[in-house]
Amino acid sequence: MFDIKKYRKKSPWILHYNAGSCNGCDIEILACLSPKYDLERFGVINTGNPKQSDIFLITGPVTYRSRARIVELYEQIPEPKVVVAVGSCASTGGVFRGMYNVEDGIDRYIPVDVYIPGCAASPELIIDGVVKALEVLEEKGKSNDK
Amino acid sequence: MISWIFILLTPLIGGVIYGVERVVKARMQNRVGPPILQPFYDMYKLLAKEPVYINSPHIVYAILHMLTLWLAVAMVILGYSLLYVIFIHLVASIFLVLAGFSVRSIYSHIGANRELQTIVAYEPILILIAVGFYMVNGSFDTNMIFQNSSSLDEMFLLFLALLLIIPIKLKKSPFDAAEAHQEIVGGVELEYSGLFFEILYMAKWIEYIFIYSLVFLFAGDNLLIGLFLSILVFFIINLLDNSTARVKIEHLVKIVLSVGILLCLINIIGLKYV
Repeated sequence: MFDIKKYRKKSPWILHYNAGSCNGCDIEILACLSPKYDLERFGVINTGNPKQSDIFLITGPVTYRSRARIVELYEQIPEPKVVVAVGSCASTGGVFRGMYNVEDGIDRYIPVDVYIPGCAASPELIIDGVVKALEVLEEKGKSNDK
Repeated sequence: MISWIFILLTPLIGGVIYGVERVVKARMQNRVGPPILQPFYDMYKLLAKEPVYINSPHIVYAILHMLTLWLAVAMVILGYSLLYVIFIHLVASIFLVLAGFSVRSIYSHIGANRELQTIVAYEPILILIAVGFYMVNGSFDTNMIFQNSSSLDEMFLLFLALLLIIPIKLKKSPFDAAEAHQEIVGGVELEYSGLFFEILYMAKWIEYIFIYSLVFLFAGDNLLIGLFLSILVFFIINLLDNSTARVKIEHLVKIVLSVGILLCLINIIGLKYV
């Protein structure tokens, strides 16, 4: 029978948030959407609007200023949603680990599904990460429907 | 009978056009682009998302917006007066503005405000185009217009004026200040999510059909010219979208009103006296 749920992973819309990153990973994310890597062939749109997104791409080591905003953006994304930490800083704190003004990584605040290493994470790795996130998205969708 | 089937299938055809457009746009940028059925994949995904909404009038206005747009398309196809069609289309736009003002988000308010300003810009031109059709065909009825032969040669400047306002209605550069994704995050559509965003998404597809049915009016009874014109307009609009930057909303109003009304008036005075 015609199944609506299997199309979920064919249309992932991305919300990208910079939690105090040095802009290196942000530039690489934008490079993924450029003609050379063309992430849009998987149906990806960079929406910039949490209410219409499925995948939450976060870069940067979470400064004190951005903590509350990350949680708020996370809450505004409707289920099912996937969080992807892009770059070393977002995964572990990277070179900023242990500094007085940052939290070490995003998973202290919201549950992370996919970690993408690298400083800055290369576009190939980001595409791999997003494709991995699609699988997680599909599984989450299934468990949500039960 | 065929017209009723076409009316029922309007959103589907609009969705396919939107899908083709995304591929064409991607190819113009030397990209591969999404599958042609991507809008429908988006639709399935949006339908399966968790339903979240702000307040009920917000949703009701979106539904009314879609239904009145659909009605406008149906009226063009069934042969009603072009003036009624334009006013019903205006009502649809007003519902969208009301939707924008029914939530507290600032971006939504800015989007609704800009939507109103674009209505001020394109509405006189739509009405002048209808006047031009009346002078050529002796009737406002789309029925009559579709029976007469093509009026493109007599109304060429009016056709250019229509070409000027199509980017506003389809939210394309250079006249997409009302939506402006990078600036006000979509404007009116900002607060919609999941199933309820799908309503607006579908309304966008119906808008495509509405615009291209206006293009078809210029071809009269000749379907081939109509198809050729639609494809030409499609390519011109996408080329413009890919190659121009966004203009500010006040410049949009000035450019469209001055150039558009000038084109329309020259054409109408020409029809009257030449």
